[in-house]
Amino acid sequence: MRLTPHRLALAAGLLLVALSGGAAEAAGPLDERGALKSVTCTACHGPAGNSRSSAMPIIAGLDAAYFKKQIGDYAMGKRLSAEMEPYAKQVLNLGVDDVAAYFASRRREPTPIQPPAAAAARGRSAAAQCAVCHGPQGQGDAAKLIPSLAGQAPGYLREQMLLFKQDRRSPGDPALTALKSLMKTIPDETFADLAAYYSSVR
Amino acid sequence: MSAVTRRRFLRTSGLGLGVLAGSGLAGCAASTKGDFAPKRGSRVVVIGGGWGGATAAKYVRLLDPAVEVVLIEPNREFISCPLSNLVLAGLRSIDSLTMGYGGLRKHGVRIIHETATAIEPDTKRVRLGEGYLQYDRLIVSPGVDFQWELVEGLAQNQDKVLHAWKAGPQTVALAQQLAAMPDGGVFVLSIPLAAYRCPPGPYERTSMVAWYLKTKKPRSKLIVLDANQNIISKAALFRAAWQAYPNIDYRPASRVTGVDPGSREIRTEFDKIRYDVVNLIPPQRAGSIAVQADLVGGDKRWCEVNHVTYESVKQLGVHVIGDATIGLPVPKSGNVANAMGKIAAAAAVSLINGKQPEPLAPGNTCYSWVSDREAIAVVNAYRIENGKVVQIEQKLTPVQSPLVAERAVGWSQSIWADMLA
Repeated sequence: MRLTPHRLALAAGLLLVALSGGAAEAAGPLDERGALKSVTCTACHGPAGNSRSSAMPIIAGLDAAYFKKQIGDYAMGKRLSAEMEPYAKQVLNLGVDDVAAYFASRRREPTPIQPPAAAAARGRSAAAQCAVCHGPQGQGDAAKLIPSLAGQAPGYLREQMLLFKQDRRSPGDPALTALKSLMKTIPDETFADLAAYYSSVR
Repeated sequence: MSAVTRRRFLRTSGLGLGVLAGSGLAGCAASTKGDFAPKRGSRVVVIGGGWGGATAAKYVRLLDPAVEVVLIEPNREFISCPLSNLVLAGLRSIDSLTMGYGGLRKHGVRIIHETATAIEPDTKRVRLGEGYLQYDRLIVSPGVDFQWELVEGLAQNQDKVLHAWKAGPQTVALAQQLAAMPDGGVFVLSIPLAAYRCPPGPYERTSMVAWYLKTKKPRSKLIVLDANQNIISKAALFRAAWQAYPNIDYRPASRVTGVDPGSREIRTEFDKIRYDVVNLIPPQRAGSIAVQADLVGGDKRWCEVNHVTYESVKQLGVHVIGDATIGLPVPKSGNVANAMGKIAAAAAVSLINGKQPEPLAPGNTCYSWVSDREAIAVVNAYRIENGKVVQIEQKLTPVQSPLVAERAVGWSQSIWADMLA
């Protein structure tokens, strides 16, 4: 087998997944509550919800209440996504409590994607304003349905910041008013830096 | 069975260093006779290591590590059909779509790189050459094979008239033919009547070839001969994308009846067209093993299955998944095969353990590239109602965009890992 750089990177990525996935599965195979109901989710969100790609969010370890709120918003079309709207309805059909409980109980593996160090450094300086709600390490606040940003997939983070700025994610949601006002003050280029920083936080 | 047989099995299915069975191990007969590997506990045999079979093999191991899994797949590496249209346009290498089966071995899946030649449901055996493997449940993920005989001149010219509809050497060869075509040339792409593997695939290919020609050979033309009455998937989105490609001459209701590589002519029922490069996607049916094992229905093409367990309606104990199936309201896509692989694995494990299989429905996420940087998507979600798969909803991305293309890359990385890592 020829070891092209791309293939090496892919192999390394797959190995990471194998190691992390293996650890999670050793703790309990797929007979836990909700595990089987998650089988269509992992195609995009990765084994146990630990997406290894930039664009697809990691949903392992997501707070159950936050998860349920998002599924509801997707299903009602408040959170616009051609991909997620049908799947949110499928999750509601299967029983959102079980699926939320399953992913909440998975250990979150930070994204393996290494952002450019300069971007992450710029993002770190720009992140002070985010820390007010998301905490100094971007860890979030489950009681207030504020998600953790630490180690999240960078492409996903950047896309969500754009959607907030354009008021295309859950328009009219009073809980997001302050966030959206803040996003409007941030230039689009800075979103990539913020995403680089938060995705690199461990 | 003898220790020799067992050793031989380990050598042919070991950690990627095994020798091909039949390649002449010292002192052994040229092909294996008798039991390939005596069964100790419960065993699931999976035929086919594509999107459905690789997933099924891995998930049986995840669901019940006490169940032995043997995967039979002749190819030593997995090559992804999704994203392979980008190889034609020179935007991706085939290497970037090629992956090993090492991840499955780490999950304890034993892999035999051979071709299953027959299924014996009565004795619960799969034949491999002169040997056989016993199973408790069999999962068949045979993919598709081509109906060469339906196009005159095709069977004897398989090396000249390429399909590139199974990613691999043909994908690379077609990309080379396209690159070598002189500017001003005519590229003809023909699409068979549905049902075939990957409904939007030919239209994505149309987009990628048109993008390539527009960029690299602007005086060239792409003629698309579609046996269907119209674009059969994401029609409005493809039509919108093709506004950027005046080099496309799309001809619906144009079924190809013959091809002659000597005169470089392709025939429809009404017309004869001269080409410089041809890509003929032949009509398809379930992979040969499914036909031989009488898993196909009256049409002799596709396999009808139980919607909850994927057990064949014709053979007890045999599950069929992926593109080879018919009767569910789902497209023949890699994502659906992946979902079926998991659900069939769960059903097989439940049945082995004397439990009722849980009713689970598949999902379909399907991205198509329409330019070097933009993609579109369709998503279908399903539920089980009275034992049948029923669609909950279908959604399309409103427009083509680079963000959708980013998510398409994300999808591919995630689902490859879900199958193989």
